[in-house]
Formats: sequence, C-alpha cells, structure tokens
Amino acid sequence: MKLKAIYSLMFAMGMALTTLATAQAPAVPAIPPTWAQGRTADGMNPSLAPNPPGIAATPADEIAVSKLKVPAGFKIELWASGMPNGRSMTESPSGTVFVGTRFTGNVYAVVTKDGKREVKTIAKGLHRPNGVAFANGSLYVAELSRIIRYDNIEQNLDNPPAPVVVFDALPKDEPHGWKFMTLSPDGKYLYFQIGTPANIVVPPYTHAAIVRLNLKTNILEYVATGVRNSVGMDFQKGTKELWFTNNGRDWADENLPNDTLNRLARPKGMNFGFPFCHQGDFLDPEFGKGRSCDEFDKPEMKLGAHVAALGMRFYNGNMFPAEYKGNIFIAEHGSWNKTKKSGYQVVRVVLDAKNKPVKLEPFITGWLDGENFWGRPVDVQMLKDGSMLVSDDETGAIFRVTYGK
Amino acid sequence: MRLIHKTKAILGVAFFNTFLVAGAMAAPPDAIAGKAKAQMCFACHGENGLSAAKDIPNLAAQPPLSITYQLIQFRGEQRKGGGMEAITQALSDQDMRNIAAYFSALPPPPAQSGNADKIANGQQIAGTQYCNSCHGSQLQGQKHIARLAGQSPEYLMTQLKAIRSGSRIDMDGTMGSAARGLSDEDIESLAAYATSLP
Repeated sequence: MKLKAIYSLMFAMGMALTTLATAQAPAVPAIPPTWAQGRTADGMNPSLAPNPPGIAATPADEIAVSKLKVPAGFKIELWASGMPNGRSMTESPSGTVFVGTRFTGNVYAVVTKDGKREVKTIAKGLHRPNGVAFANGSLYVAELSRIIRYDNIEQNLDNPPAPVVVFDALPKDEPHGWKFMTLSPDGKYLYFQIGTPANIVVPPYTHAAIVRLNLKTNILEYVATGVRNSVGMDFQKGTKELWFTNNGRDWADENLPNDTLNRLARPKGMNFGFPFCHQGDFLDPEFGKGRSCDEFDKPEMKLGAHVAALGMRFYNGNMFPAEYKGNIFIAEHGSWNKTKKSGYQVVRVVLDAKNKPVKLEPFITGWLDGENFWGRPVDVQMLKDGSMLVSDDETGAIFRVTYGK
Repeated sequence: MRLIHKTKAILGVAFFNTFLVAGAMAAPPDAIAGKAKAQMCFACHGENGLSAAKDIPNLAAQPPLSITYQLIQFRGEQRKGGGMEAITQALSDQDMRNIAAYFSALPPPPAQSGNADKIANGQQIAGTQYCNSCHGSQLQGQKHIARLAGQSPEYLMTQLKAIRSGSRIDMDGTMGSAARGLSDEDIESLAAYATSLP
C-alpha cells in the first residue's frame, strides 16, 4: 500500500537518524513511552501522538455550551466550571458531587445552595486521584497506588480532615495506573481497575484486571482479567451485574480493535482476552499467534476504535422519556491514534428485553469541530432528580442534561 | 468567542516532523499583550528569549503550549524552582497564553558546538531512550512537549537529574521512566547533543 510504504520510510528514516551511531548503549535499555509502545515501521501513520492533557480550566463565559447538541426535547447547560482536569464523578446521598482528577492532583466538591453551585477544592497534591466513591459519610479516593478516605467530609468541606489510608499495596506503574472506582450495590466493596502497564504487552498477573476491595476485611480480590484498561463501570439495577467499558490497544489499525462494553456475567473468573484477543474476535497481530478468541469471554458491544470509551452509567431516573430507562450512557474522551478524529461525544446504548445491547447512537455531540476539539467528555453521572451530568477535563467543567420544561 | 486553532500536520521531507498546535484554547493568545506582561521575565529569560544565566532555560521558540503548561504547574506549585512559584501566582491563564505566544514566536536559540564524541554519544542515547518520540526528530518540541534543541546544557542536566530523582514533577510518568536508567555521563552527553541542534 502506497501510504503505508511512505509511513514505513518516514519511520525508518526517523529511527535511522536516532540510531545511527552504535557505540555503547546506556546502562539500562529504555522502553518506548507507553503510548508509542507497539508502534511498528510498517504500521500506521507514525506522526500520531496523544493529545496534550487538559490541565487548566476554561473561564465559564468562554465555554461554548451552545455548540453542544442533544436530541429534541433535551437541554444541556453549563452546570459547574473552574475545576482544572475534573474527571470522574460521584454524588453523595445529600447531593454533593465529588470530582476526581488525573493530572492536577485535586479533588473537588460541587455543592448546590439556593439553586447556585459552588466549587470547593477539598484536596490538593494527591497522586492521580482519578477515582471517587461515596460510602457511609466518607469520600473514598483512588490514587495511582492507594485508596484513601475522607471521613465526615460533607460536614468539613471547607476544612477537610487528613485522609485515612485504606489500602496502599497497589502497583505503582504510571501507565494506565489512574483508576475508576465505584461502590458495589451492597456497599461492601469498592471496584476499580488495574490497567495494563503499556499499550500492548503480556502484563504481570497483577495488571489488566478489575479488582474489588472488601471494605470490612481490606482484602483485595481479582474479579476479571484480560481487561486492558477500564475507566468506567456501573452496576445494573435489578441484575446487580457490573458492566464496564474497556479501551482497545493502539497501533494495530486505525479502525481496529474497538473499545468495548462488557458485562461481568460471573462474579469471578472471566477473562476478556488482553493481550491475546481484542473485542472478542480480533486476534492480536503479535500476541495472538497460536491463540484463539474462543478461549476468552466476549464483550457485549463494540463501541468503535480509539474512541476512548470512559465513564458509563445506567439511566434509572424518571426525568428522561420512558424509552431511556435502563439505557447506558457512555462518555467518549476521543481519539488520538487515528488520523480522522472520532469519539468526543456521549453515546446512548439501548438494551432489548433480553438485556442485550442492540442500538448505539450519539446523544451529545459538538465538542469536536472538524479535526479540532474544544472539550473532552470523561464521565457521566445521573443525579437523583433524573438529570445527567457530563464532566469534561479539557475545559474543567461539568454540563447537565435535562428533559422537558 | 472561542478560537479553535487549526491543527496542521506537516510531514517532513526526510524525517517525520509533526507540528501540532493544540486543539482547545480560550481567547486568542496575544503576543503583544504577552510581551508587555513578559517584562518581568526579561531580566532572567531575556527579551529575545535567550537566558542570562546557564541554569535558566531559553524560552525562544519553545512550543507555546509547553510554556503555558510549565507556568500553570509553577502557579499550582506542582513544579518548583527559580522562584517561579511566587512569580506566577498573579498570572491568569490568559496572561500565560499571551506570554507563551510572545516567546514561542522568537527565533530559536543558536546551536552550540561542543565535544564531538559527547554529541555523537548523546545522539545515540537519544535514539535508544526514544527522546524523539515526544520531543521530535530534531528535539524541536511539539504540543506541550518542550523544545530541547539549543537549550542551555547546564539547565538540561539539572532538570534531567531532578526528574530522575523525582524532585521535579513528572506529568504522566513518561519522563521519569525515560530518565531512570541514565547515568550522569549519559545526561551530560544528551545535553551536549540537544544543545548542538539548531
């Protein structure tokens, strides 16, 4: 293929430039940066590289909420702003929304008083505090390698207590080390992921998994393996089964493999195939040799390649029309390992009477303007009033979707 | 109104060079306002973006987002050094974008000659350590990644050692893992190589 030949030439010459001299190597041979690991000379456009992370907050009056499009009858508004890199969300029973971050090390609390929102920074200087969950009056925060807890946090938002360390024996790998965390319906467990330490490798048995921490015994258990990196999960009402998104590998193809939506049909022992098989039916070009996708559990739905499907929640509220009940909403952070950008939207997944996903359609679009993005959705959170929040770590803002009135 | 910058990918003739202007920004960065605001920077970083002392970085021709990101991290006290935490406290995000627009538009620092063996060794290490993957084929920087070409070697050595020891913030872990295996001699060679590039 002509394009591939050109990429191959560019790649080879780029490498030739850097490896011309063959004198002595440094003491420890390096591995490529995580994102470039798995890039090959005859592969994809080598000029692709990750987007710079959002680390500043866009002023409220410069956030282009009017560019966001929702289906007829729905409305979207700017709900809160001024939270640099705000990502995962959780709502406490009394209505405080807590927001974690990946790059700024902050945790925010959004409180609503007399219809007005106030953003408070309740923690600073944490190490990738991406995961947040609320239980028994305490805020649990998942940092890169430990779980910490802020007790009686809602009574002390202006003067938060020092956190209690709950569990600190997690791997310290930076790549895919930030966590999404959620509380089980019985309140006994925190579920979170331990992502793969590189784009495509045979990971240590500790990684590429979903785990749960028993809050009473502090015992960590593995509930699923072969999960490359899940940055969104939610328990389905009724079945109480865990559903989660999973991000596919890079540098295999611009259109493969897909990010996926998955269901934990068995409480333990499922293996979703990483690094051997992706999306249930795509053998890895390198690690799939001699393996079969039949060895592994299958995803429920393919979501598109490189879309970066992150936060996902079921809609159990009463505000949206009846046909939205039980649907899944997924925030797509948006692609980098693809020449034409995709994702940068919130999608809706409809399940049929047999609980199978049958329809995938855009629900909120408009963050992408041609090949440029001005925002990147990370997580969705349903509020008790039936409305839906969407966090955006590029603008440091949260949007709210309502229906009617 | 928000200005969305055009993202341009220019594939180089001989090597792949990618110049990417970041996607999202608020008001248009204003280099003239930036120059006015940058008066306080000049004593150390120079009006021409060439620093007055070896331990102070040249800012000329740095990618604008790289300057903005460092200023944000100084203001947030995530990165520390040179008194920059205090200096940045009064700067708004827009001030930072303006200052970045000013310095990034200046002509790049001149390449500096040096010990040929060290430079060759540094080039070889840059290849095995994958520096070019992020910093560009000529270490010219891109997006939020710093330009190393023509940078002060003393500054580069101090920073690489600080990243290696963990005393300088490592935004996503990439630099920490790249620097961990480097000896002092490796760092010296890398600095000699980077500073020799135009």
